[in-house]
Amino acid sequence: MAITEELAALEAETLAAIEAADTTSALEDVRVRVLGKAGTLTGYLRSMGSVPKEERAAVGKAVNEARVAVEEALAARKAVLEGAELAAAIDAAAVDVTLPGRSQQMGTRHLINGIIDEVSDIFMGLGYKVYEGSEIETDYYNFTALNAPADHPSRSMQDTFYVHDLSGDAARVRGESDVLLRTQTSGVQVHVMEDQELPIYMIAPGKVYRRDVADPSHLPQFHQIEGLVIDKGITFGDLKGTLDYFCKQVFGPERKTRFRAHYFPFTEPSAEADVSCGICHGEGCRMCKGTGWLEILGCGMVDPNVLSMSGIDPEEYSGFAFGIGVERIACLKYNVPDLRMLLEGDMRFLRQF
Amino acid sequence: MKVSLKWLSDYTAVPADLKAFCDKLDLTGTGVEGVETLGEAFDGVVVGQVLTCEPHPDSDHMHVVTVNVGAEEPVQIVCGAPNIAADIKVPVATVGAVLPGDFKIKKSKLRGVVSLGMCCSQRELGLGSDHSGIWILPDEPPVGTPIADIIGSGDTVLDLEITPNRPDCLSMVGMAREVGAMYQQPVHYPLADDVAKLADCTAGEDVAATVSVEIPEAVRCPRYTARVIDNVKVGPSPDWLAERVSAAGGRPINNVVDVTNYILYLYGQPLHAFDYDTLKAEDGSVSVVVRAAEDGEKLTTLDGEERELTSDMTVIATPQRAVALAGVMGGLDTEVTEGTTTVLLESATFEHGRTSRTSRNLGLISEASMRYERRVDDNLCEVVSQAAAALLAEVSGGTVRPGVVDVYPLPTEAAPLPFRIPRFNAMMGAEIPAEFVHDILVRLGCAVSASENEDALQVLPPTFRPDLEREIDLYEEVLRLWGMDRIEPTLPGGRKRVGTRTDEQQTRRLVNDTLRASGMNETMTYSFAEPGDIERLRLPAEGLGQAVELLNPLNADQSVMRQSIIPGLLRSVAYNQSRGVKNIQLYEIGTVFFAAEGRKKAKERQRLAGVLAGAMDEAAWNRPAVPFDFFDGKGVLENLARELALPKVRFRALTAEEAPQLQPGRAAEMMANGAVMGWVGEIHPLVAEAFGAQAPIVAFELDLDALVRAAQPARPYVDVPTFPAVTVDQAFVVGEDVSHEKMMQVMTSAGGKLLESVALFDVYRDDERVGVGKKSLAYSLTYRAADRTLTSEEVEKAHGKLVTKVEKATGAEVRG
Repeated sequence: MAITEELAALEAETLAAIEAADTTSALEDVRVRVLGKAGTLTGYLRSMGSVPKEERAAVGKAVNEARVAVEEALAARKAVLEGAELAAAIDAAAVDVTLPGRSQQMGTRHLINGIIDEVSDIFMGLGYKVYEGSEIETDYYNFTALNAPADHPSRSMQDTFYVHDLSGDAARVRGESDVLLRTQTSGVQVHVMEDQELPIYMIAPGKVYRRDVADPSHLPQFHQIEGLVIDKGITFGDLKGTLDYFCKQVFGPERKTRFRAHYFPFTEPSAEADVSCGICHGEGCRMCKGTGWLEILGCGMVDPNVLSMSGIDPEEYSGFAFGIGVERIACLKYNVPDLRMLLEGDMRFLRQF
Repeated sequence: MKVSLKWLSDYTAVPADLKAFCDKLDLTGTGVEGVETLGEAFDGVVVGQVLTCEPHPDSDHMHVVTVNVGAEEPVQIVCGAPNIAADIKVPVATVGAVLPGDFKIKKSKLRGVVSLGMCCSQRELGLGSDHSGIWILPDEPPVGTPIADIIGSGDTVLDLEITPNRPDCLSMVGMAREVGAMYQQPVHYPLADDVAKLADCTAGEDVAATVSVEIPEAVRCPRYTARVIDNVKVGPSPDWLAERVSAAGGRPINNVVDVTNYILYLYGQPLHAFDYDTLKAEDGSVSVVVRAAEDGEKLTTLDGEERELTSDMTVIATPQRAVALAGVMGGLDTEVTEGTTTVLLESATFEHGRTSRTSRNLGLISEASMRYERRVDDNLCEVVSQAAAALLAEVSGGTVRPGVVDVYPLPTEAAPLPFRIPRFNAMMGAEIPAEFVHDILVRLGCAVSASENEDALQVLPPTFRPDLEREIDLYEEVLRLWGMDRIEPTLPGGRKRVGTRTDEQQTRRLVNDTLRASGMNETMTYSFAEPGDIERLRLPAEGLGQAVELLNPLNADQSVMRQSIIPGLLRSVAYNQSRGVKNIQLYEIGTVFFAAEGRKKAKERQRLAGVLAGAMDEAAWNRPAVPFDFFDGKGVLENLARELALPKVRFRALTAEEAPQLQPGRAAEMMANGAVMGWVGEIHPLVAEAFGAQAPIVAFELDLDALVRAAQPARPYVDVPTFPAVTVDQAFVVGEDVSHEKMMQVMTSAGGKLLESVALFDVYRDDERVGVGKKSLAYSLTYRAADRTLTSEEVEKAHGKLVTKVEKATGAEVRG
């Protein structure tokens, strides 16, 4: 048989084997058998030297053609088989995507501190600094410097925890003392007015204490955010505008505010601010006790006595102050039904926020 | 302060729209805390005519009556009142009526006899104290008339919150003035008419002939007036008077006491009626001294309590004894009784601060003390006494002695104030017209005149408004009555403000973020602690100072301030565990308090504390639950060290003596740059038990202030490596006493510049393969040069040197 015929037969046989290979490794076997070092087609290439000279060109061409055909067929088949194998592997690797993911538990912020962060960010955006103060205060900073001197009736508005005074000073009323747990963060105002340069734009978030037995709506320790602005030309309108902006940021742009005249010793005029009820939108419901409004904070223009006591000229400067109850926001915005939950450390409660 | 709208309408018009009225009160500064409509309480109570009255067959004091109540059939009622009789008209609460106190009338059987209602006494209808028998009605009203029509109810009583600066509003005339100003409408003041009645009932000898008053210390009592009313017959008050006292929230007692209370509610002037005869000296004269009480002096007040007094308190006394606690409460043995025939009527003012202290020191708050501590107008005390005496004479059939003893050492005088209208408007951010300002101030009782400056008014505030001391006080009055809602909201325009956080606040924020990223949940516990918490925690007392003690704690287990956050957190662990929550990761940043002898204000420190119990999470399909141990707590602190870039952090093992609160062998101190940050470890099982919590609990408590000081917020850039590294794994067998820290020290110093990092990847113990009392520590050592690719010879040389040094320094053997 002529070499060319042998080649044709080998090519046909090889192409058939390629077609028959059903895995990439079977295909590789075919390749090695035909094109490997000891491969059948390789053998022809090697033995070209023994082919008569006059046939060499023709045989060489035939061998080459056969090799090209086999290589092409191998490549084509390989692509098909690899595609199928990848598809099979991918198929086999499919997962139930509804199974839970793998993650490291994220911790949570306490609701009250979360609200303090939120409020602080709002006021920092308005150019306020954040100050803190000590939780044990002297009578002077908690009351007197806030225009509520000794025996002032306004002191009975808050039931105070008194602290054993180890300095040896005695109080004039049994059971009272010159040192106390601050009943309001307002004392921080006084420290700031004494220590900082004007103008002042500040808030002071912090823990305060009043002698109320813990029940669903009272805690003996809770949080206030005190605000104070002192600058030239500050008006009651500025107070309203600032607190209106704050309420809309916290509760939503559709909420309204109203200001009711009230009394606090360190502000004059004083007001309480209400935000419109988010449940009935002012119609009156159980949440707002039929009024359509929810009390949210106390505020007012800083009393000139308070300014004078801190060495600020009330003829030149004016300002406003406000005190926000953080737990109150927790109740109104997050519907916390029982304030005591805030202090129990129940994981099931904490991890909701 | 309870305000009857019917009563109020005697002096000024009351708006018909109750809701709008309440809103207006709220907005102008008088909080409406409650609205009570009196008529409602009497639905179903009607006039009934008793037809028959037979003794109860099975009772010796009850009667069975039939009553015509205007229905088709008479109703049968069992009645226990002694004065029930046929042919009288009585109020009948029919089945379904609800009486005051939420008392529902139902069909019932009394000793076997059916009763379909109740014949009522005045007290049962909430109208007075008379409970001696059924209220026998006049004959005129027809049967079936609602009782509300007869007693003229349908009255509405508002419960108003009067702020401490407004003593004037603790009176009906004060509220009438306020409402008149709110609506800019006229007010009719009753005082002149009341006083005019005095002339007709005056008789006898001048009061000064037998009564004298002495005030040795004027500051205690700026004014004291006394009048005497003779021929008094003590008895029930007329209906109108009892009704008004009830409407104001008082309890009608007798005509004399009711008059003093009525005048108090009407004019805000506290009065006291003494039984004159109990004050008399042997010669029949009465000498009143208003003096300081003696320390330890005793006085039994009207409520029957014997009070021990101090010299800060003021008493009304005869030369023999104290008879009343000035401004707070009268004495028991000089009170008006049924047998009283002559009354000495006191109308006075007492120092507000002392009254407040007296009241707080004795825990005794009265209608009088509440008004005195807010200040009572001394200018009015005498004229109100005239009105009171006239009324007392009228309702008790008595006569008033001419004249008055009026000792008035310290008259209050009002000082004029300016009202600069342009400044006012500038401060409010409003344009409130001058006419409005003028009108409101006059309606509030000020005398207003123009001053030289046409922009400024000269204002003389009334003495019944002690809160109007300064110009700003007048601004508030005008603003609140103009309406705060009419002021345009604006934002401050200040140019020199920036919002920033302090470094400390930034660091604290980073601490919180890191704790949360480490899976910890922030909580809050009480700042109060139970005495002995520190001992229970076994925390060494050194450096903790004394606990801050509260003078008036709510309860014994919250009577001091905490010195550590851990007890609170352990209680929270117990709280969770007892509710079936096993996986607990809590932290708190809060204040701890340390007192010291001689120091007024205790020291406060900020602490960061955390507790871990159970595991981070339940086992999941792709993740096992790994129970927390020491290293979870330490890991949190390592995260903190990284985030705060704390320098030279090391953990030092703590001995059982150093940290008795922790399980020995699982306790460490965290240090940064040589300074102690705090401790971490597993809570001693016995300590956990003492707090009701179940071990194991990993805990840490750090000094936040120390962390803030050590933190380095800005970290310098280090070149990212460009040449490849060579990693060599090496296991050493060492004795149990050789710490990882020691190994690290030796390796880092021996590795030189080429050793980039060392990571411990395995700790292995096996008596046979490793040896008893030994452990195998396997490290992955990374060698790299910053400027070239290391050759294998270089690495081998460096590593060989390191191994030799480790062997030498620690006695380690290389494990194959």
